[in-house]
Formats: sequence, C-alpha cells, structure tokens
Amino acid sequence: MALRIKDGKVISITPPKTLTKEQLKKMEETPVNEKLIKEATSRKYNIVFR
Amino acid sequence: MLEISNYNSSSSTYGLYKKLLSKIQLSKDINDAQRESLFIKDICNRIEKSKTVLYVLELDTEIIGLISLSVTSIQDQPSMQVDYIFVSEKYRSKPLKELDNLKPFKYLIEIAISIAKEIKETVGLRYIVLSPDTEELIHKYKSLSFKELTKEWMYLKI
Repeated sequence: MALRIKDGKVISITPPKTLTKEQLKKMEETPVNEKLIKEATSRKYNIVFR
Repeated sequence: MLEISNYNSSSSTYGLYKKLLSKIQLSKDINDAQRESLFIKDICNRIEKSKTVLYVLELDTEIIGLISLSVTSIQDQPSMQVDYIFVSEKYRSKPLKELDNLKPFKYLIEIAISIAKEIKETVGLRYIVLSPDTEELIHKYKSLSFKELTKEWMYLKI
C-alpha cells in the first residue's frame, strides 16, 4: 500500500501532490461505481472503538 | 461473532503489536511473513502518532484481516489513503458467509469505502488512493474499479 521496505526498514510513500492535466481529467471523468458503493454502504458494520 | 475493532490515537495501543500477531496467521513464506510483521509493527507505531487509523476484522478469537487508513490529498483533493491491508493466510481468497460471501480482501475495501463515504460530507473526500506494490495487487484493485493514476498510485472515485 503506501508502505514499503527499504534496507530492512519500513518507509512511507505519499501520493503525488501535483498532477498533469491529463491525470486530473482522467480522475474527474472516472465514473463512480454506484453498485460497489451501494453494496459497501448498505451493510451494517459492527465497529468497536478500542 | 464478527467485529471490527477501531484503533486510533486515543486507543490503548500498549502491547497491540504482540496481540495482533498472536491472532493472525502470517504468510507461510518466511520472507513474506517477516515483511508483514514489519509492516504491522510500523502501523502500530503510526497509530500512536495519529498518522493512521487501524480497523481489525475479527471473527470470534481470530483476526481475518486488517486495514489501515489515513487522510491525504492529491492536488488539493482530500482523499482517503489505504496505508496497509492484510488478510490472514488461512482466510485468503476464500469467500466467507460471515462476510456476506465476500472474500476478506474485498470486504476490507468495502469497509474503507463505507468509512470514506461517511466522512465525505465533512471533509469533501472524493477518492480512495493506494499504492499496490505487486502486479497481482494491481489486478486485484482493478477488479474493484480502482484506476491507475501513476506508475505507483491507484484511485477509486467515491
């Protein structure tokens, strides 16, 4: 994910702070997968705060 | 009983790393297992520093998997970042009836989507971002509607 191992140590990598116009356009124009979102949000999760 | 434990900077994280390791099954491959334990230890340290929030998916006394989330931004767009995701060896690629017949990996991503949607209104989240480190993971995320942004990063529009 956003963690990597380098020389035996865990390092974190961060997302790009700036994007090209093409990358921005791609993100903007990506459709939302409504079916997936509905499936994920319609479920009741039993979250316990420790 | 299926339960999701939330560990954040307000949680008591003393001994958390050992507790997690005692309830999960790392990969059989020793190198993979070592890598996974290093990541989990790092995540426990990050929780204390408010750098991430950990959600642990538990079934009775066993841990099925875990997902670690934080908030980030891409080009001023607030986004949720998946810092780490892990499924115990014995539960990998197996649909479970306790998870609505989903495989744990997808269920964990759906937990992230649900949390992201919940906070979307307050902080204006629009994307979930992550950086898979293997080709196999890239394919897995593509099957869940994630798109490639750069060579390292993928995103899901919510």
